[in-house]
Amino acid sequence: MPAKNRFVRLDAFTKTVEDARVRTTSGGIVTIVSLLVIFWLTWGEWSDYRRIVVRPELVVDKGRGERMEIHLNVTFPRVPCELLTLDVMDVSGEQQTGVEHGVNKVRLTPESEGSNQIAVTALDLHSPEEIASHLDPSYCGNCYGAPSPAGALKDGCCQTCSEVRDAYAGASWAFGRGENVEQCQREHYSERLDEQRDEGCRIEGNLRVNKVVGNFHIAPGRSFSNGNMHLHDLENFYSTPIDHPHTFTHEIHQLRFGPQVPEALMDGLRSDQTWTNHHLNPLDGTRQVTDRPAFNYMYFVKVVSTSYLPLGAKGLKDSAYSDLSPLGSHGVNSDGSLETHQYSVTSHKRDLAGGNDAQEGHKERVHARGGIPGIFFSYDISPMKVVNREERRKTFLGLLTGIMAVVGGTLTVAAAIDRTLYEGVSQLKKLNTR
Amino acid sequence: MNGFASHDLDESAFGEKSGGGLRTFDAFPKTKSTYTRRTTGGGFATLTLAALSCFLTMNEFKGWYRGQESQQFSVEKGVSHTMQVNIDAVVAMRCADLHINVQDASGDRILAGELLTKEPTSWALWVNPAKIHHQSNKKDRKSREATESEDTHVGHVIGEVRKSSRKFPKSPAMRRGVIPDACRIYGSLEGNKVQGDFHITARGHGYKEFGEHLAHDAFNFTHLISELSFGPLYPSLLNPLDHTLARTKEHFNRFQYYLSIVPTVYTRSRNPTLPSSSDPQAQIAARSRNTIFTNQYAVTQSSAEVPENQIPGIFFKYDIEPILLMVSETRDDLLYLVVRIVNIISGIMVGGGWIYQLWGWGKENFATDGARRRANFGDGMLNGRKEEIYEGRYD
Repeated sequence: MPAKNRFVRLDAFTKTVEDARVRTTSGGIVTIVSLLVIFWLTWGEWSDYRRIVVRPELVVDKGRGERMEIHLNVTFPRVPCELLTLDVMDVSGEQQTGVEHGVNKVRLTPESEGSNQIAVTALDLHSPEEIASHLDPSYCGNCYGAPSPAGALKDGCCQTCSEVRDAYAGASWAFGRGENVEQCQREHYSERLDEQRDEGCRIEGNLRVNKVVGNFHIAPGRSFSNGNMHLHDLENFYSTPIDHPHTFTHEIHQLRFGPQVPEALMDGLRSDQTWTNHHLNPLDGTRQVTDRPAFNYMYFVKVVSTSYLPLGAKGLKDSAYSDLSPLGSHGVNSDGSLETHQYSVTSHKRDLAGGNDAQEGHKERVHARGGIPGIFFSYDISPMKVVNREERRKTFLGLLTGIMAVVGGTLTVAAAIDRTLYEGVSQLKKLNTR
Repeated sequence: MNGFASHDLDESAFGEKSGGGLRTFDAFPKTKSTYTRRTTGGGFATLTLAALSCFLTMNEFKGWYRGQESQQFSVEKGVSHTMQVNIDAVVAMRCADLHINVQDASGDRILAGELLTKEPTSWALWVNPAKIHHQSNKKDRKSREATESEDTHVGHVIGEVRKSSRKFPKSPAMRRGVIPDACRIYGSLEGNKVQGDFHITARGHGYKEFGEHLAHDAFNFTHLISELSFGPLYPSLLNPLDHTLARTKEHFNRFQYYLSIVPTVYTRSRNPTLPSSSDPQAQIAARSRNTIFTNQYAVTQSSAEVPENQIPGIFFKYDIEPILLMVSETRDDLLYLVVRIVNIISGIMVGGGWIYQLWGWGKENFATDGARRRANFGDGMLNGRKEEIYEGRYD
């Protein structure tokens, strides 16, 4: 053996001298096939590297003092706007404090005429509704025995029909149609009410509430609290001059807690996990029909905080300070991340007269009697939070390793196959020539 | 017959000279057999490597076949309405003296007593120590824990559910002449899927409108729960309260159970397509063989004697968690398996080849340089003992 350099000895890739090599057709075919396989697998690795996956994590919601936005869009084809009241309260029945809202009531033409839009009025807690500006400055409207409402235009007086109604609500008196009340006759309250009897109403807008257990409901008549009781003045709802009664047939176009997740994000979610973690609002597009006026719908909603962190988002934020954002844009951060909520819901309906579900084959289920007609949403906040984080499945180094493994593996196996072919053929040949 | 000649694969096909065609692409040049040498050691190494790659491939295949279990969670989809409650319990009181009701957050009351089967029985028949779980018994608890942890795996759950019947078992027969002193309550009922309270109380206590007042010394709320589950009835799955016994000596005793229900899906299919419409639970129950929808629950309990102005009884307060747990067992793509196996085999071949060459190199090195040394230190080098096998290399 000739004297060799130490490095030459270390050569693990021993080469065969050209003269000793054999090239075969089968080897050529194997080479081309293996190259194709390598290209195919490398392309797979590449697309795997390019793919963005959404990885859900479950954490405990550590936010505090947070608020959330409820986006609401519900149509009532059989109740006029004048009668509907939206109340937000927490479990104890007390009014939630600091509810900001931008809710509109949209008057709709009667159902038979296609429920088209007539007019939009903002539902506002302290709107200068029909201020009696033409009145004598010294005028002081009679409150008809009820104490003047807080925040009246003039202390101790009821200047408008609405104030008289507030005063009655404050005293827990039923108001009725406002006959014999001077202010209401002047404003033609009962005529206006009767004019709208056939109309429908759509309630749409945003509410910003504290993120605590609570409920909101849409029910007829002015609401007032009497001790622990929350009451509604139902007089006008039940006694109607028209031939068909008002009912709480309704269609929920949208109910979501927080901003909508953009379609692009949804697609990413959908492709990977078929049904886990869709951000779907299960109540969207649901419709419930009844022909009984005294009917109550309840939705038990469990709200789970969810955030979406797209690629490049900086991470979770404390959203306690995002209160400054304008109504309707709560939870959308500048880096594209979203703070929103998902919910699960159970619906329940009952006739206020009580009775059982014998029609549905559950005669053992006895409904409670009494209560307020309307639709009620009671929401509960889950302590868990889902974080959907967008990630690349592989790092660049991971891609390189993958490609190397593919190339090396395929070539080695191809070499083995080729070798086997060659050896097999030459063996057979030997047998034949012998 | 000469198959190779007919396929143009005669001597010339393997020769160097008649070139052209695909042959030029051959990246795997083979050394002419005249230049290669086969050794016993090489053959042995090849066999070892082949065995190793076989073993690893088998292992990989087994791993792939078994699949992976993963837990996912999601917020429950769709609008739910009802939930089935299954109960099978024996209370040491006469059936006529018991009232069973469900009161839930929607304000409904479910007259469970009308729906469940009440069967007079003898308490002594049921207190069979072999089947009942005693909290105090350590061995018992161990075996129960083992069963419970088994019940969290998809394969086990689906197997159990397929095997078992979906009915409540029959009561043991009473001997004639024995006066029934206990009541077996069993059956399923549909409740609203909201927070609720399931209670078993005595006649005339709690609900004023039902029945006459029952004498206080007839109270005995000692009870045995054989089954308490939510969702479709799968008696073979062990729930935390199944086969548990709670005793009391007091007449005025209140047993409280607080249950947190977690909807759970066990699935074997990769993409369990769930219905988007109304009640997910009811629909999945009727669905594929590879997906089971059930509910697990966590429970805490308390038992206390209560003063006479409170209501004694057995109370199950349940609430439903909004987050659904999905335990799925999935298998990777076959392609991934193939790629992995190819990687393993080629890794073994290349790595093994290198080691073999290195070994040869080491020997060669020491054989030439250290021939003298070898005489002194017989075993000085890599596995020098087996040298005689490779003597062919040095001829």
